[in-house]
Amino acid sequence: MKPSNANLKENTPPKGLRSWLKIYVETERYQSPRFGVILLQGLVGLLFFVFVTRLWYLQVHQGAEFARQAQENRLRYERIFAPRGRILDEKGRVLADNRIAYGLSLVREDCRDIPATLTQISAFSRLPLPQIWDKYQQDRFRIKPFEPILMITDITFDQVARIASDIPTWPGLELVVRSKRSYPEKDLFAHVLGYVAEVNEKEMAEDDALAMGDLAGKQGLELELEKQLRGRKGLYVVEVDAHARVLNKTLSQEPQSGRELRLSLNSSLQKAAWDALDGEAGCVIVMEPDTGKLRALVTSPAYDNNLFAAGISKRDWEGLRTSNRFPLQNRVIQSVYPPGSVWKLVMASLFLERGISPRDTVFCPGEVKLGNQIFRCWKRGGHGNVNMENAIVHSCDVYFYLMAERMGIDRIEEFAKASGFGRPTGIDLPHEKSGLVPSRGWKRRRFGRGWAGGETYNVSIGQGYTLVTPLQMAVFVSALLNGGHLLKPQLLDDAPRESTGRVPAKGETLNFVVSAMRKAAAGGTAHIVARKDADMGGKTGTAQVVKLKMGAGDRRLRASEMEYAQRDHAWIATWGTKNGKTYVVVVMVEHGGGGSSVAGPVAAKIYDHLFGPGAQTEVVSAQPRGERMN
Amino acid sequence: MDTRLINHLNWSLLACMLLLYLIGVGNLYSASGTRLETGLSFSDFYQRQIIWGMCGLLCMLLAMSFDYRRLRNLAWPLFFASLVLLLLVPVMGKSVYGAKRWLSLGFMSIQPSETAKLAVLLLAARLLARDQRPLGWKDFFAVLAVGLAPCAFIIMQPDLGTTIMLLLILGGMILYRGLHGHVLKICLLTVPCAAAFMWIAGLRDYQRQRILTFLDPGNDPRGAGYHILQSRIAIGSGELWGKGFKEGTQSQLRFLPERHSDFAMAVFGEEWGFVGCVALITLFCFFLLSIFSTVIQAKDRFGSLLAVGIFFYFFWQIFINIGMVIGLMPVVGIPLPFISYGGSATLLNFTLLGIVLNVSMRRFMFKG
Repeated sequence: MKPSNANLKENTPPKGLRSWLKIYVETERYQSPRFGVILLQGLVGLLFFVFVTRLWYLQVHQGAEFARQAQENRLRYERIFAPRGRILDEKGRVLADNRIAYGLSLVREDCRDIPATLTQISAFSRLPLPQIWDKYQQDRFRIKPFEPILMITDITFDQVARIASDIPTWPGLELVVRSKRSYPEKDLFAHVLGYVAEVNEKEMAEDDALAMGDLAGKQGLELELEKQLRGRKGLYVVEVDAHARVLNKTLSQEPQSGRELRLSLNSSLQKAAWDALDGEAGCVIVMEPDTGKLRALVTSPAYDNNLFAAGISKRDWEGLRTSNRFPLQNRVIQSVYPPGSVWKLVMASLFLERGISPRDTVFCPGEVKLGNQIFRCWKRGGHGNVNMENAIVHSCDVYFYLMAERMGIDRIEEFAKASGFGRPTGIDLPHEKSGLVPSRGWKRRRFGRGWAGGETYNVSIGQGYTLVTPLQMAVFVSALLNGGHLLKPQLLDDAPRESTGRVPAKGETLNFVVSAMRKAAAGGTAHIVARKDADMGGKTGTAQVVKLKMGAGDRRLRASEMEYAQRDHAWIATWGTKNGKTYVVVVMVEHGGGGSSVAGPVAAKIYDHLFGPGAQTEVVSAQPRGERMN
Repeated sequence: MDTRLINHLNWSLLACMLLLYLIGVGNLYSASGTRLETGLSFSDFYQRQIIWGMCGLLCMLLAMSFDYRRLRNLAWPLFFASLVLLLLVPVMGKSVYGAKRWLSLGFMSIQPSETAKLAVLLLAARLLARDQRPLGWKDFFAVLAVGLAPCAFIIMQPDLGTTIMLLLILGGMILYRGLHGHVLKICLLTVPCAAAFMWIAGLRDYQRQRILTFLDPGNDPRGAGYHILQSRIAIGSGELWGKGFKEGTQSQLRFLPERHSDFAMAVFGEEWGFVGCVALITLFCFFLLSIFSTVIQAKDRFGSLLAVGIFFYFFWQIFINIGMVIGLMPVVGIPLPFISYGGSATLLNFTLLGIVLNVSMRRFMFKG
């Protein structure tokens, strides 16, 4: 072995180093193994190929998705609630307001001990723990990480003070200020305004702008005009790090408060109508015939919509839902009734249009016979010879039976439908009913039987299958006064006049019916609304709920003698003009009994409010005792 | 000084490693940044890495200064010294995160498993360099025994990463060297069985959990899968061109764990995108091929095998680390050479490359 390094040529190194300095020289010539060479090159090639492919997949193919996830990692969105638009009456009185409410929210990720914190929430709020757990379990999967769950929505002020001092010891809990809806007029406008409540899954799915914990309209105008009232939420974009520490907060969208709505309704008139109904189940509509604007829209009984806005308790809800007086029902549009004799206004218009002369008379003996059925007039003994005007003024049934027979059901159906019956009026309130205009086709579909002649008799006096909503009747009476325009009833003060159709009748026809109503008020069945200081008109109706009940001696029973649910519905449809201002007032009292005796006084009180009190003509009892006017 | 030493130096390897080192320091600078409310604040990792790099260069020069063939004489003493140190670890080692891997020398701590890597590498090169025929059973087991002895200690610490690294380096060298046909066949049959045995007997619960989590990271996104998911998001969100130097949100907002050490590559991928990553991987490939050129140019078996061992030492680290960062490998604590922060790793990397440079520059020195 020959030393080949310079170091080795030096003289003997120290002993311990000798073995280290010795260089072992391989004698064979070295050749890299072929397989080994291929292996190393192959591995480098493999590394390059695998990594570049994978990186292409991650960064180019899936890059956008990962970029989104990285954004989601670092950015959170915080909503800024926009104040909901207030709702005012015609004079600017507040009907729906926003008030400050304190809530308690929980951020799961910041919370060290969920069960203990929930127990504490229960202690703060005095709500039972299981209820708190339910709320938590229900919401925890619906929200994104770091989003607060609103655990309690409405904390009283003295509770707030107590919680505020304790809250620093409970990480994850936060007092939040939220806006709540309040309705100072309570029951009075409940059905018009409706209410707001926390959104549900379905609403959130249908509307991107809604998120958990938001309030949204559920009924009434709050529901119907939700989009205008709601405004637009503002948005903070919050940058956070992995420990949820907030690095900066930028306002990405300014909140925009909702539109303030001014209604055409007048709250003192509304109150007067409410008081006039005096707790009876029924409704009142006051409408301007030229514009379609509603000045009062009362349904009774109602409910306190604040209960819903605060989150109604199960007991209250059950109470409202199961009440036999149906306070949740908006009787103006959601209930349908046989119109009774008020319907005669529609029939008279039809007769005039179809060539029946106002001078044509019919002899009313008190009843007519069709086949083996007897159809009675409300007046025992009959009206004698009556022409159309008298038939309206005194509400003679026999005249309408016989004239309707000449018309036939098809023409009645056609005319009624063209006059706005059997379809919604289009008012800005949800769940409006259409009512029913019966026809041969309908009868066959419904009962599988043909139309019977007697049914035309019933329809002619607003009985039988005919069903209308009180609002439809108000729209029709308005049309009589405004030249036949069927106007959409408007609740907003600045709403334009919107016509949804036209009663197919000439001006003189309408004028004739209007003047007949005037005579009915002056000296007929609607005499109760007569006033010295105003031009008045009206038509009463008493709609039977069940088939005529005959008492002993073939006498119709008085309302007080019947079961409540079997009593007749009382109607009155009126108009009044004073100083160039015209109003249509329609009153319907459910199971009230006689139109003129029950609904009439309500209407009279409303006119007292509209035109000033004390100008009524002395009440002449146009109605013989023991008999009820129709 | 013989000018031939300079002439034969593997310049491309030197260039590759310096470039990688600089990229590593630059990336570490960015990875040190943490965004706070007040702005970006930097920790001093990159400064420390610069100091370690300087020390590393000294070690490298030292490793180049003598004839590498003398290392053959060091193989056995170093091997035994390592075993002794490894034996001392359970007795007087320091416990960090529940694992005993460090020996405190008072002024500094050393990780005996690092010296064990070097020792096994030298000894394996020496044993495998005895002749040139494919390995028979006897030689195979001799080399295997040399590797398994320190592995037995290291897995007890426990340090799965280093154990796997040692076995893989050894396996690479043996494969390069070539096996007799029947030895190879039997190995191919037994290795899967050994792996299964390891899975059952050799792994701790958390190690098994890591591998399972790797297979399905979505299973536990806030726990064990967090590293993998966040790393993928970091890399993927770099998209084609990257977010730009010091612009990575995943790293600065601390969503990315271990961003200085094991996941430094994810920071790079986030900020430089696909283009930067491909460039870096290309550079790593050039780096490996430069070592490879010394492997085939070396004029003796020992030098060549040393270079092969070092090739595998780097190859496996690159393969496992980047593979882990981009979600192709389970999370094992293996750093990426030059890119990840680490003092002793930097020193060892430079030293080993000094040896490769040593082999390359002395390839002409032959007994004529």
